[in-house]
Amino acid sequence: MESLKSKKITSIWIIAVFVLFLVSIVLGILMRLNQGEIIDQSPVTFYSNMTTHGLTMIGIWFVAGMAAIHYLLQRYVKTSFTANIIALALTVIGILMLWTSTFIGEFHAAWTFLYPMPFKVMWAAWATPLFLASIAVLGVGWLIWSLSLMAQILKKYSISQAFAWQHFKKNPAVETPPFILISMITLTGVIACLLAAVVLLTLFFAEFFSNGSFVNDALLMKNLTYFFGHTIANEMLYLGLAVIYELFPEVSGRPKWKTTWYVALAWNFTLVFILTAFFHHLYMDFVQPKGLQIVGQLASYFASLPAAGVTIFSVFIAVYRTKIKWSLTNLLFFMGIAGWVIGGLGAVIDATISNNVVLHNTLWVPAHFHTYNAMGNVLFSIAFFYWFSTQSAQNIKIEKYTKLVLAILLIGGIGFLLAFYIAGADSIPRRYSTYPEELSSGATWAKVGAAFATVYLIAILIFFYNISKRCLKILFLRS
Amino acid sequence: MLKNIVFAIIATCFWSIANAQTTAALKEETNIYEKIYNAPLKIVGEQPLTLHERCSRKPLLLALVFTRCSGVCNPFLLQLKENLKFKEKGKSFDVLVLSFDPWDSKNDMQLLAQRYQLENDKQWFFGVTEDIEALNKSIGFQPVWDSVSKQFDHDALLVGINSEGYITKKLIGIRQGHDLDFLIASVNNVFSPTYRIANKNMLLSCFNYDPITGKNKLGFGLLLIALPAVLTVVLLISINFYVRR
Amino acid sequence: MQQQSILLLFLVLAGIATIVFVYVYLSSKKTEKSENGMSNPLKKRFWFSLILFVILGIFASVTIPKSPYYLFADENPAMVVHVMSRQFAFILSRKAIDPDKPSGEPIELPVNEVIEFRVTSMDVNHGFAIYDNTHRLITQTQAMPGYVNRLRYKFEHPGKYDILCLEYCGLAHQGMRSSFNVK
Repeated sequence: MESLKSKKITSIWIIAVFVLFLVSIVLGILMRLNQGEIIDQSPVTFYSNMTTHGLTMIGIWFVAGMAAIHYLLQRYVKTSFTANIIALALTVIGILMLWTSTFIGEFHAAWTFLYPMPFKVMWAAWATPLFLASIAVLGVGWLIWSLSLMAQILKKYSISQAFAWQHFKKNPAVETPPFILISMITLTGVIACLLAAVVLLTLFFAEFFSNGSFVNDALLMKNLTYFFGHTIANEMLYLGLAVIYELFPEVSGRPKWKTTWYVALAWNFTLVFILTAFFHHLYMDFVQPKGLQIVGQLASYFASLPAAGVTIFSVFIAVYRTKIKWSLTNLLFFMGIAGWVIGGLGAVIDATISNNVVLHNTLWVPAHFHTYNAMGNVLFSIAFFYWFSTQSAQNIKIEKYTKLVLAILLIGGIGFLLAFYIAGADSIPRRYSTYPEELSSGATWAKVGAAFATVYLIAILIFFYNISKRCLKILFLRS
Repeated sequence: MLKNIVFAIIATCFWSIANAQTTAALKEETNIYEKIYNAPLKIVGEQPLTLHERCSRKPLLLALVFTRCSGVCNPFLLQLKENLKFKEKGKSFDVLVLSFDPWDSKNDMQLLAQRYQLENDKQWFFGVTEDIEALNKSIGFQPVWDSVSKQFDHDALLVGINSEGYITKKLIGIRQGHDLDFLIASVNNVFSPTYRIANKNMLLSCFNYDPITGKNKLGFGLLLIALPAVLTVVLLISINFYVRR
Repeated sequence: MQQQSILLLFLVLAGIATIVFVYVYLSSKKTEKSENGMSNPLKKRFWFSLILFVILGIFASVTIPKSPYYLFADENPAMVVHVMSRQFAFILSRKAIDPDKPSGEPIELPVNEVIEFRVTSMDVNHGFAIYDNTHRLITQTQAMPGYVNRLRYKFEHPGKYDILCLEYCGLAHQGMRSSFNVK
């Protein structure tokens, strides 16, 4: 069961994630304000902020998902507190190293740090190795954590049980809880993509230390970069889903969800699709073999099948015409699922190669992934944070202004995202610090986006205040 | 000190190879997709006809030589003959060897064919043209007459012409199998949306496009992409074994 | 035009999704205790998944052949334009570009003819994106160092076309551009 130690460390994670989230949102708003020509940052500052914003966001919501998994996993298996602490320490150190390289060293190769840009040094010379080292530190911490959690699961469940293969037969002897299945699938994907990062960083460092005699192939590096980057961003979403499978019925007063043959099938297929969808980042690299491009489109398309047919449908079944007990937790889960679906629609459209020709690297791309995150995965995590923080407190009623906060969140989020989608359809490029004169609608939509993002920020601040207050209480509990 | 000298020598070699490749690569990129000059041809064993008529019959690999060459022509033709012997897709094109020397006659070319034992080869054809200047211009070929050695100073040039008379690709120098495959694919109108620049020393690439099959052969790099997934499975099994012992 | 229909499709689908979610949510508020929720959930799940599968399959088979790698593959381009990208400029030329002495010239292309762009980069990844004179993105390809990408396109309208770099390449990425005319 959940010990006080584990409650405290989860509280630390929550507060840390919230603080970093607020900082990152501010960086994001500054970016939109610059694009809207309301403030004037130098391009170097803009792009350094962009690099920081992207990596910090992915990092924090990944660890938020991992912290939630770790906490809930204790219901089923014994977890390692050491691994959790190591991950926390290395995450903090990694983020500090990252921020040093971007804020002080002015490293601005974007969060994708696409080869060979880190070596075309237009910043402090030490920033490149420090940046690469920061990714390595983060990766090591997260790899240790994932391997530890996987090992703990495997202590209790065999491989085939953890992947729920026995559910393909009638009347399986052992029942695999959905939470274990999804955690297992997700951790497998996480480990694979972190190993891709290891290969990537090895090649980067090999070239760095070879002083020019070893040169990497740009195509290989790009494939590895997106194997790591795309997959980790997707897996952090699926970490949130594991939490939903576990908590949604519980919080709603509904019967616990069980693994059936189609749940097992869907999630096993999801692993395959997740690991092959990353090819959709290379559609416009005609150097990529056509077969891999087609694999990318098909995997991206069909990844939506298990998501829609199993997860989303299960949520509908749990809600439709049932006397479900609504609380902020499951409301946020429900809204997050809607955000995830809508982000998915934008994604599948972009994952169509013939559309990608006119959407790639326009604002459509940040449009869909901000939908997945800001109105999807973030809500999953905040739901968990809220649930966790109210577990230990007594007599928590839904605060009176909950509906108001949710409305602010929705208005802010939807407005912010629509600005991206419309600008993307208007061919406005992404990652531009300012827009050329003839693409002036870019600046207009940036102003709109900044305004709505500020509204969204207000909602997040309110959540932060309430949840962190409770988490701090937990942190300083004596027993 | 010795290490530095060795490194400098190696670096110079690479640099000069890269440099040479760059210059050839640049010259190869001219005249692509332009229609070749419709030169009147006198080909050994055939009726006189024009170049466009000839390539509409079958796409051509056009090689330019002269019979009195004591330089590159001989090794060039020998190597080409060797390389093409083993190409299965050899049936989809013809090789036309033309002389760019106004002194060469159709008879001289016939003798040349005999020298290479290609007189009766179904794929190789030898001939001359009256309009050599115009033909040279249309393919960017500029032989220079050296009056001292009484020789033409020229590149070894192979031009790919598709059945509509368009120049699809040029190869300068004596080239090996892979480049030749590309040339053959191009005259057969097989479109590859990409090609690699032969400049840097890249060890690990994802794939190598094989123009013969039109498919991609696995490069070492592709294994590196699959490696994380493979390693994960290995880790999974190892951890399972270790914790359940 | 393509982008307008994409945006419309997205807004319609997102709207439908929102309505469905709101409907499902409201249904739980109005329900009586005796109701059992969704009837025949497994059957509905199956049909939903099957319909989605078919829709995705149709879209995949219709759209994949329209990918840029297959466009105009069987035709002889009327002209080849070489594009060399570097931080932070595009160099365009009818002749191959020497990486040691890169130089270009103003480019004029014929209308209604297949043009082939051969795009590469001297340093980092860049994006070669063509915008028409209504400032709409019409086609693009990546410029990757060490490789040449061949982009074929047929311009149906005369006028000035802009080239913008669409792959983030450093601090002057937003100013990296060029243009050409189609007559």
